[in-house]
Amino acid sequence: MHPLLQHWRRSLIYLAAWLELGIILGLVAATSGHIARLAGIALGVPMSLLLGFVCLTPYYVCRSVPLHPMAWRRMVQNLLLATVLASSVVILGGRFAAAALASEWPGLDTLFSAATPFLTVFIGLTYLLSIALHYAFHEIESSRRAEVLAREAQLKALKAQINPHFLFNSLNSISALTSVNPARAREMCIGLADFLRASLRLGERDTVPFSEELALTNMYLEVEQARFGKRLRLVRDIDPACNECDVPALLIQPLVENAVKHGIAMMAEGGDIFISGHRENNLLEFRVSNPFDPEAPGQARNGIGLRNVRARLEARYGAAGHMQIDATERNYQVTLTFPATTL
Amino acid sequence: MKPLRAIIADDEELARQILREYLASESDIEIIAECPNGFEAVKAVNDLNPDVLFLDIQMPKLDGFEVLELIEPSVAVVFVTAFDQYAMKAFDAAAVDYLLKPFTADRMRASLQRVRTRAAKPGEANPEHPRNLKQASQRPGEYLERLVVKDGPRVHVIPIGRLDYAEAQDDYVALRSEGKTWLKQQTISSLEAALDARRFLRAHRSFLVNIERIARVEPNTKDTWLAVLRDGAKIPLSRAGYARFRELAGGE
Repeated sequence: MHPLLQHWRRSLIYLAAWLELGIILGLVAATSGHIARLAGIALGVPMSLLLGFVCLTPYYVCRSVPLHPMAWRRMVQNLLLATVLASSVVILGGRFAAAALASEWPGLDTLFSAATPFLTVFIGLTYLLSIALHYAFHEIESSRRAEVLAREAQLKALKAQINPHFLFNSLNSISALTSVNPARAREMCIGLADFLRASLRLGERDTVPFSEELALTNMYLEVEQARFGKRLRLVRDIDPACNECDVPALLIQPLVENAVKHGIAMMAEGGDIFISGHRENNLLEFRVSNPFDPEAPGQARNGIGLRNVRARLEARYGAAGHMQIDATERNYQVTLTFPATTL
Repeated sequence: MKPLRAIIADDEELARQILREYLASESDIEIIAECPNGFEAVKAVNDLNPDVLFLDIQMPKLDGFEVLELIEPSVAVVFVTAFDQYAMKAFDAAAVDYLLKPFTADRMRASLQRVRTRAAKPGEANPEHPRNLKQASQRPGEYLERLVVKDGPRVHVIPIGRLDYAEAQDDYVALRSEGKTWLKQQTISSLEAALDARRFLRAHRSFLVNIERIARVEPNTKDTWLAVLRDGAKIPLSRAGYARFRELAGGE
């Protein structure tokens, strides 16, 4: 159905516009002096309303006749045909109305006949205008939809992305461990598999329990600890009340990955990562804090993952979701605050 | 055969461990140092002058590209890194070989073979002098955030925001930053290409200026102008340089 008719308020506004046009046309016709004002309005209003309904049909015409420069001949043919049909319908309706009203205002039907050529052209042009407007709205709508789809696809792709650097470096660590410590090599291999499986599984879902997201984060950290050894140290403070909350999938793990990648991995001596989760007044607050070397190479690439987290938080919670970054000279802290909803 | 003297530079202990293990089974290799970050790598290479350097890219302090800029081009460099598609271009141009983690002992042996072949022909230097490597590895639209220069035995890092101007001097550029001048072996054109043209103005054939430092511009001779910096330094502006300045300043 036409979007204008889907809501009664829109339909009423549309109807009122055509009603007004009918009255104006009736009054304009009356200025000729041949008919009374009331007669003009009595004929103008029903014709205008009929035209109003006919002018909704380009909605379907636009969808069956796509704009295509290669097939312009066919397009013009079809659009002209639709215009002729539309004019005919309205003129026919007008003729009926004029005949019916002739009993009240004699001579109205003959006047109508005399004005038919002019009215036909007027109605045809109005209909063409409606076609043009419909095409314009159709274009706007489809480009907006394409934008939304592209954005969704992009977010989805980013969400499910596994950092290849992390993957290959972990495999290299496993390769190194096989000869010096086979048991740890196996452990790390299984740890990596667990993490990959869990992140694929979570990536398919929009919402996951906080506990699962935290478990994924811990699997990730276990692998990284094997890689970085004593350089990566963890301090955790997680309120158990967080566990049953719903969170967007893969929202938290990227924050911790960021802290490792841009913080710990770039510090020769390593450092502590603080991870905390608290639930207060129906709000969940999750925080990751890490030291960093302000003089480390390649600081510019920071923040792409964070932008993604912020975009997803906003898409999900609107103004209620909030990401705050507090950066001091040597410490970087990201805090997420969002409604604590449970299943 | 004289044994090859090797240095391993990688911040991950296990990554150094696997190289150590592979190299131990080679008869003519001697590991003379292991470095967990870029600073130490530069220092070790300059002190010990090895035949081959196994070099990771992502490291604390200095990354692999920066290390390469700061060492003698006579050292054969084998990059040892995880996948990075943008870095590949740079490898092809400047390293003897590259190993993608994880790699086999055979693959590493092939790298050593290339190093030995090169060592046998000392006249032949690297395919390309690896001075602008960092830049070659950059993504489109990305610019250098910092410059690294050798300061005697140490390494000095100049964040791009603290660079006032650069002046061409033969094969070097003189970098002016925080009241000091540093020399770096690079052409001014390649430096210009590595920096954001919205922040650095090619004022003259020999000068590149940080736009934020310009206090005012005054006429000099008929066709030239002078950019006066905040610290009072005067940089000549050629006719073309002045036109570029007007464009950047919004045509005022």
